[in-house]
Amino acid sequence: MRLHGKSVLVTGAARGLGRAIALACAAEGADLTLLDICADLPGVPYPLGRPGQLEHTAALCREAGAAVLAAPADIRDLRAVREAVTRARDRFGRIDVAVNNAGIAAPSGKPVHEIDEDEWSLMIDVDLSGAWRVIREVGKDMSTRRAGSIINVASTAGLVGYRHFAGYVAAKHAVIGLTKAAALDYAPTKVRVNAVCPGSVRDDPEAEGRMLAEIARALEVPVDEHEKTFVEAQPMNTLIEPDDVAAAVVFLASDASRQITGSVLTVDGGFSAR
Amino acid sequence: MSGPLLPAAHCHALRLRFRGLTARPGQWVEDVPVPAADPLAERRRAVELARPADRPREVLLRYADGLCDLIVVAPRGHLGRTALHRQAVGVSARSRETAPPTEPFPLAPPPAWGLGDDGPGTAHTVPLEHAGDEASWIVALAVTLRRYDPDTTPVIGTDRGSLTVELAASLGESKPVTASGAVLAGLLFDDSAPSAGGETETEYVPCLEPVFPLTVSVHRDSGGLRLRCVHLGGHVSTEIAAQFVRHLVHVHRQVLHRPETPLGDVELLDALETARVVALGHSPSPLAGGPVSVPEAFARIASATPDRVAVTDSGVGLTYRELDERSDRLAHGLRARGVAAGDRVGVCLERSAELVLTLLAVLKAGATYVPVDPAYPADRIAHTAQDAGLGLMVTRLPGVAGCTPVTPDELPYAPAESTLPPTDPDALAYVIYTSGSTGRPKGVEVPHRNVIALIDATRDEYGFGAADVWTWFHSSAFDFSVWEIWGCLLTGGRLVVVPYCVSREPDRFRDLLVAERVTVLSQTPSAFAQLLDVDHARIGVRLVVFGGEPLDARMLLPWLDQHPESVCRPVNMFGITETTVHVTQQTLTRKLALAATRSVGRPLPGWHLYVTDPAGRLLPPGIAGEICVGGAGVARGYLGRRDLTAQRFTADPVTGATMYRSGDLGRLRPDGHLEHLGRIDNQVKVRGFRIELDEIRSVLLEDPDVRAAAVVVRQDDPTDTATTRIDAYVVLADGHGDPGTVRRRAADILPEHMLPATVTPLDSLPLTANGKLDRTKLPAPTARHQPTRGIAPADPVDDDLTDTLTRIWTEVLGVPVGPDDDFFELGGNSLYAVRIAAALRARGLPSVRLRELYRNPTVRGTVASLGTASPSP
Repeated sequence: MRLHGKSVLVTGAARGLGRAIALACAAEGADLTLLDICADLPGVPYPLGRPGQLEHTAALCREAGAAVLAAPADIRDLRAVREAVTRARDRFGRIDVAVNNAGIAAPSGKPVHEIDEDEWSLMIDVDLSGAWRVIREVGKDMSTRRAGSIINVASTAGLVGYRHFAGYVAAKHAVIGLTKAAALDYAPTKVRVNAVCPGSVRDDPEAEGRMLAEIARALEVPVDEHEKTFVEAQPMNTLIEPDDVAAAVVFLASDASRQITGSVLTVDGGFSAR
Repeated sequence: MSGPLLPAAHCHALRLRFRGLTARPGQWVEDVPVPAADPLAERRRAVELARPADRPREVLLRYADGLCDLIVVAPRGHLGRTALHRQAVGVSARSRETAPPTEPFPLAPPPAWGLGDDGPGTAHTVPLEHAGDEASWIVALAVTLRRYDPDTTPVIGTDRGSLTVELAASLGESKPVTASGAVLAGLLFDDSAPSAGGETETEYVPCLEPVFPLTVSVHRDSGGLRLRCVHLGGHVSTEIAAQFVRHLVHVHRQVLHRPETPLGDVELLDALETARVVALGHSPSPLAGGPVSVPEAFARIASATPDRVAVTDSGVGLTYRELDERSDRLAHGLRARGVAAGDRVGVCLERSAELVLTLLAVLKAGATYVPVDPAYPADRIAHTAQDAGLGLMVTRLPGVAGCTPVTPDELPYAPAESTLPPTDPDALAYVIYTSGSTGRPKGVEVPHRNVIALIDATRDEYGFGAADVWTWFHSSAFDFSVWEIWGCLLTGGRLVVVPYCVSREPDRFRDLLVAERVTVLSQTPSAFAQLLDVDHARIGVRLVVFGGEPLDARMLLPWLDQHPESVCRPVNMFGITETTVHVTQQTLTRKLALAATRSVGRPLPGWHLYVTDPAGRLLPPGIAGEICVGGAGVARGYLGRRDLTAQRFTADPVTGATMYRSGDLGRLRPDGHLEHLGRIDNQVKVRGFRIELDEIRSVLLEDPDVRAAAVVVRQDDPTDTATTRIDAYVVLADGHGDPGTVRRRAADILPEHMLPATVTPLDSLPLTANGKLDRTKLPAPTARHQPTRGIAPADPVDDDLTDTLTRIWTEVLGVPVGPDDDFFELGGNSLYAVRIAAALRARGLPSVRLRELYRNPTVRGTVASLGTASPSP
């Protein structure tokens, strides 16, 4: 087991990609601290994770053999993040891996000049600053122990632009910038920071993901049509499965990647190779 | 390095098993969806018991079958064993009864016997019968450690500081006393058994990670009294740690039950351990075949393949039938000259078909051959003839003092009654003289059955047969030739004579190997190194056997580049004349060569070995000691040297038969492979340090510019040990490198006391007639430095001080010194530095610390540093 005895923290773990990542880590022997907002956010036009969903992720991880600490927390709130991290440290002694997975795709679907101040701030606050807050709280301890791996889930939207998604694209580009800068900050202490850029991920019913559907809704196109567009855009002619992204995260979390830091690993079926 | 070692080392943990337990506030509750006995539950417990905490943490694992485990982890300094239990059962815990360890202690470096590797340490737990007290374990630990490493005073770490045990007459009189120094092993002792709080099972983990590199703890839980050992894998390997625990427990039993035992008589190995160590020193497979004489074995081959060529000499072949018939006639000739069964006959001929015929004839006549190399100096030949009491010597030399010379031409004789009497396999086949490190050469008496056992032990493993072509490269007076001649002729192969002049010219030897399509090549590493210097791609041998001297496996890499393992099998055989040529076999691979393995493998079938301490007791794997060899190869003794024979050929402690004490240093590895570490007398002491010359040589050979290397110790003034120095000789790769660079690179690896004072380049290393390094022919070392005296100082200096210092250095070092000469290149060492400091003090000058001397190793540098230092009162 590649993560045996490691303590892994995952944000946005109630469902979707976060659930898949948590389960993959549990299957590799990790113990988990699962964060999720477990509430809706004013301004986000779709429902976010629910307490029952977070509990279900925790139950699935326990079945896979993990010890689990479920910690509802809003990553926009530095104190909440600090509290969750402290609890994780009390429970597991330390945090070996932090996965910044939580993020929102909307409000989106309009040209830049139509985005209002609140919409813009919300997107940056969750998708960019949320990751920064977690790094801020786990980074010092990792540096002291001279060990640790931080994985930021960015997006192909961190590499190229998407029409009518300026806030999301800007935040995800910034996450990659944050990854590289933090990697340099921590390189002398052996703590690693990397980014994963998923392409279009299928909404797996078991993972209860809904990102793809919500992006389609933001663009006001039918889900089927949106899926078709993206399958065609990804050279391997298929959507990405949540497990594919989780596998990349497990690799970056494990010691197999111990010389990899500041890197951007795309899981996009070749999309960004064009 | 200083403690703490790992973050979890400061924590201990307790697990209590309950049937149904209500969680208390502050506990972390985990529902584990499987029964308590499930492997997943087991894994969960293990992870929780290994997870460190900065303050006490309680985790309640609730299993699917209603059982639960309450696991409490706390820093050892915060809660003691009893307090931990109180905390677990819900009684308010007070802080620790005794003060926690606070002082960091110096950590000992990995011990040689630990065979440390990259692997993680594994915990070992064994049940104990008797707890004894803490002091009894300290004594047991100290006695065991001292037996593992007699040169180091054991310092045992505990929570209350470091202890040692002074040498006393008996175990009972040995008492722990406070000590300081580097800690390798430590003890955590707590035999309290806190009262139960309703739990059905307890498990105590005294430390989550090693507190000391080798941490032994004695404690009680529901499993009873236990000893647990955790260790750093880099210091002690898992196998060695497990073995150490077995030995420690056995020694502790003696501390408790036989306190009158003198320290020297304490047993390290119990009966089971002895049996295990004995088994490790045996070949995994038994020896097949029974004892016959060499002539009988030869007769079988000769009648099976009479028309195959047996010997090729300068292109002329001799068939097995011809060899058989002609040696018969020579044997009759010998008998006609009065040679009787059991007589010794000298044979002093050049390597040739004629020599093979003569050796075989001597054996057929029932006599023992005593080979003498005609290239040897006359007085050595005379010594051998006299020592062996030779009446007759077959030779083409004009005359040898004390015996009757006869040429092979004068011998043939065909009597009417032409049968030769059979030879007893126990009769002596040959007496070969070996010089050893001291004294006159001595004759080793080897019976027929030993030679036959050597062939039986190797024939199947290496597939020797009629298709093989062997070289006969080595002098008949060197027992490697016994292997070449009889290994070939008793397995039906063709023996190619390598004339002396060809054996000394690698390109001609290469041409011979190619032309004769040789398949089996036996070489000393020194000779093989010379063959590697010529283009060897076309050589088509399938087996190379190394023997005669230690092999540095890395030298094989250029050979393996051209001749992969699948095509040619390289085998290193450690061997001794007194045990019939070989003892062990190690097939070498590219992997082993890259790792510079020192393994010489496991014994041949029928041979066995032990590693013993100076008192003759068996040593377990890891500990270096003398290699002793028993079994089918042990010679009868030294001819006419009863005392020496009794000294070296002693009773096998296990079989009661005779074994040979080799004087070679070795260690068993846990897998039974033997590491050969050189001659015991190659271990020298230089300024109090025990130094292994082979280790220095090994470092020199790591230099890419160095093809071959030799290292010797010299002492210019026998009365002054400070004049002891290490001289190195290197053969540099064509046009690459210079001795200064080699020495500088070695200085990056070797500690100062092991760094050669001189490095002298040679075109090739001088070899003895047997192809081994000839130390006596090494030239005097190249001058140690190019003095810079006479060169004007580049900037003004304090002339008085410079003059004084120069005078002192010159006096102490005994060589002329210039202002920019490097202290260490002038032969300086720490002892000389002390003398210089004393001389400075005597003149009322500030003394120079050794560290300063390292920074500024010249007179000019020292003056400058003294000038900037604040004056001392």
